[in-house]
Amino acid sequence: MIKEFEHKQFAHCESGVVSTLLSAYGLKISEPMAFGITSTLSFVYLPIVKLNGLPLIAYRELPKNIIKKISQALGIKIKTETFKDPFKANDRLTQLVQEENKLVGLQTSVFYLPYMPEDMRFHFNAHNLLVYGKEGTKYKISDPVFEEVVQCNEGKLSIARFAKGAFAPKGFLYYPQDVPSNLDLSKAIKKAIIKNAKSMTTPFPFAGLKGMQKVANKIKSLEKMTSEKDKKYIKLFLTHIVRMQEEIGTGGGGFRFLYAAFLQESKQYDLNNDILDKASSLITQSGDTLREFALLCVKASRTNNKIDFDSIANKLLEARDFEKEAYALLKKI
Amino acid sequence: MKKINIPQEENSTLNGQQKVMYAPNDNGEFEKFNYGSDVEEYATKLAVEEYEILMEESLKNIKNNISSPIEYFMYKNRMDLPTLTSIVGMFGFRVKRHLRADIYKKLNDKILNKYAIAFQIELEELKGFKYDKRV
Repeated sequence: MIKEFEHKQFAHCESGVVSTLLSAYGLKISEPMAFGITSTLSFVYLPIVKLNGLPLIAYRELPKNIIKKISQALGIKIKTETFKDPFKANDRLTQLVQEENKLVGLQTSVFYLPYMPEDMRFHFNAHNLLVYGKEGTKYKISDPVFEEVVQCNEGKLSIARFAKGAFAPKGFLYYPQDVPSNLDLSKAIKKAIIKNAKSMTTPFPFAGLKGMQKVANKIKSLEKMTSEKDKKYIKLFLTHIVRMQEEIGTGGGGFRFLYAAFLQESKQYDLNNDILDKASSLITQSGDTLREFALLCVKASRTNNKIDFDSIANKLLEARDFEKEAYALLKKI
Repeated sequence: MKKINIPQEENSTLNGQQKVMYAPNDNGEFEKFNYGSDVEEYATKLAVEEYEILMEESLKNIKNNISSPIEYFMYKNRMDLPTLTSIVGMFGFRVKRHLRADIYKKLNDKILNKYAIAFQIELEELKGFKYDKRV
């Protein structure tokens, strides 16, 4: 199976890895399907959790959500293992890819992967990749956000697998065990869509649509900050929003496009296609608006002139309104 | 389905790679497209530059006997205090003290070695650090 491994590039690491893994084991699941069927679309703003001194903003569920929920959603088994000892973790990985000829998913830190471009190396501990073989001391790696396959020395990979800090991977690895090749997805899809629509419309003020409102309020409140030190913070805060949106494994409000693609693909499964079409279009518009929002954030942080915080915040609210309409529809699917 | 614009700009932070995104094609069906975004490029570069500024400031503070080399290496490795704290496995308030020049001078090799491991350097490199000799 692994001998014919074919690398593909994806928009987002975790959904990409899960899609390739399951497809290689006989269950063809696209990246948008892996993302959508696990209800991974999200929006979270947690000002008390700081990353490099800036608040956590997430555009999707926590890392590992897809790996954990896909087995539940599809009734398949994914074996997961964590380790205390890096050497044991390395031996186990070697055993799996060399002796058992398996394709194995890994959680790693971006910072310690030697093939990562220098500018992309930050302490983000939840980057997923696939190992499809080993030659000497080098692992053959399919990193879903890269164009081509890459290689990584086992010592270096061990460091990346045992990085510490938030979302520390602890050598986390995973591979499917029981995978039926034919499954009726329609029930699982319907359930996942309703669940996601509900989670996005939660009354909890820091998540979903309400979370978007909170960030918009925060942006508006930046108006009052005027000292030199504040100006620097504003610049970092605005680009931080963009980096959280763009960089952690995705592109340009990319998670919205991924979800819109999922809704469109769901039309094959005997659901209300009118709703799916409309919602898919609305989420696409939200994604596009979020990109305009990102552009405004970057422009504002580049300028020395007065920043129009209201118009930036309103752009975010515009995206929220598209999504609000979409979730109201999707709840009725 | 409304067509969306797929950015085709240069993004030097990716070393010549391009990322992919989903977007509707001419028939309104979603497909993967390669793209390059200078908005992403700018946001990444600013974050990288921020660490470079912090490194510069740290060098000045080391020269003036305020900061310790640990602070410099922390920024060089793009870490913040919680990240470093978690890597060396000490309490945050201790690590924070170790960033001060006066406290740093009293540290023994055992503790310094923890930092050297965290920064993936030799102990001697940390101990022999001079503010004008960039490592």
